[in-house]
Amino acid sequence: MSQLREIQQQFMDYLLASAAQTPVAETIEKSFSDKVAEQGGVGRDIRMQIYANAYRIRLTEVLDTDHEILGLYLGDDLFARMANGYIAHQPSRFTSLRQFADALPDYLASDAFFSQYPIISDIARFERRLLNSFDAKDERRASFAALQSLPADAWPYRQLRFHPSVQLFECASNAVETWQALKHQQVPPAPDYQGKRAWLLWRGESRLTEFISLAEYQLTLIQGFIHGANIAEQCELMLNFFAPEEAMQQLLQALQAWFQLGLILSVQPND
Amino acid sequence: MDKQSLTHPTLGFGLGLRTQHFEHVLRHQPEVDWFEILSENFMVAGGKPRYYLSEIAERYPLVMHGVSLSIGSTDPLNMDYLKALKQLANEVQPQWISDHICWTSIHGINSHDLLPLPYTEETVKHVAERIGIVQDFLGRRILMENVSSYLSYQDSTMNEWQFVNAVAEEADCLLLLDINNIYVSARNHQFPPEDYLLQVAPNRVQQFHLAGHSDYGDYVIDTHDHDVCPSVWELYRRALTRFGGVSTMIERDANIPEFDALEAELAIARNIARTTLGESHPLVYRPRQETVV
Repeated sequence: MSQLREIQQQFMDYLLASAAQTPVAETIEKSFSDKVAEQGGVGRDIRMQIYANAYRIRLTEVLDTDHEILGLYLGDDLFARMANGYIAHQPSRFTSLRQFADALPDYLASDAFFSQYPIISDIARFERRLLNSFDAKDERRASFAALQSLPADAWPYRQLRFHPSVQLFECASNAVETWQALKHQQVPPAPDYQGKRAWLLWRGESRLTEFISLAEYQLTLIQGFIHGANIAEQCELMLNFFAPEEAMQQLLQALQAWFQLGLILSVQPND
Repeated sequence: MDKQSLTHPTLGFGLGLRTQHFEHVLRHQPEVDWFEILSENFMVAGGKPRYYLSEIAERYPLVMHGVSLSIGSTDPLNMDYLKALKQLANEVQPQWISDHICWTSIHGINSHDLLPLPYTEETVKHVAERIGIVQDFLGRRILMENVSSYLSYQDSTMNEWQFVNAVAEEADCLLLLDINNIYVSARNHQFPPEDYLLQVAPNRVQQFHLAGHSDYGDYVIDTHDHDVCPSVWELYRRALTRFGGVSTMIERDANIPEFDALEAELAIARNIARTTLGESHPLVYRPRQETVV
């Protein structure tokens, strides 16, 4: 191993061991310390500690910025516990800090302490979805006229392409209601795990990220279209929820709303 | 005798483009000559940052500044990152692209910090080779910046400015000289900052960075969360004397003030340049193009 590689490996080992919040293993600290020059002014330990602190502070700031509302929900002590645990558990393998916290929801769902409160992982997952919508690719959206201009006999075999910012979020807690309360500086409701909930997120024409709740039939409908079902197939699916005369009307209303919200990129023939 | 200059004409006085100021810049089109963007912040598919970037790119010259090239790492160069960088450059058409003389990652783990290198012949060769690969891939000379540091290595066989000169010469790249970083490292390693300035080869210095730091008495940390301090302004004046009218930019990454406050800092830089280089120097005298109907 080259001298340069050895130094880099020992430096990184030192940073990771320091971030693990356990006393830095003596051998790790000594291996790196032996490579550091003794200079006037401050000692080697302080010089090394500056880098260890910067590493932890920088990554904690990313979690704080990306998960502002989760931070409010947890409070300072639990947020620090989460940040320290995640930083120790999940070193960054990304060139951009934008992705650093991508695995935070999974960490919170599997950590022995945080997994006792599933709403915490749900709030983190919801905030990741918001960020994904925020950064998604820009593409020109279609209007309802694109569908209306088609001959009636072409409708059944048409599929929809959705805007890249469109995201679905499902959870078994009142995570989004809690997120909304905190966002508006209100006291959040008590955790509630009664029943599944679904939300649709997207970025509108004004480039603001928006979200609405979905009823079960709306979730089923949009999931089907996202997976490539055509209008005829989805109309049939609506028969599971509505009487025959109402099914088509409900589907049309949903389609019209989706175009208005800017969710649809194009209407295209079956694959 | 001085070597022939390899640098481009000066862009004047610029600021770092930060999210908080997107709307202000578009609405008021302030008299800033150019903006520097943090490349990684715009390596996303779309959304608000990309929208503002394309709008601002139509109105101002831009340069791209990265923090993840990890040029000194002994890991292989990250070609996915380089492809994303090249794609962004194709879209933004920056005047130039820069990153740092440091390493950030090893074994695929990113410290997201600009970690110092040992100043040895081995490192010079390693870093210069990799800069050459990057320059070939991007099809242009890049600028490499000196970083602030808080420790040095037993293995080092030269000082920082000798190392920076050797890397630039062997890689045939340009330099982004961060005046604040020189000050911070000089305090932390107890050398006169003027020695650094006087030894860096002038023919490759394309850009200056100015920034604030946090002073803890025994040591100084490069935090970019304060105004530029008087000692760094004085060092800037000396840098202008040695290097001439180099494109100058103020970095602010934390505790970010209103845009007007940054413009006021930039006015200080302009004033120092005016008194140091004279009213008619191209860095100082930048007539606005006007259309006569």
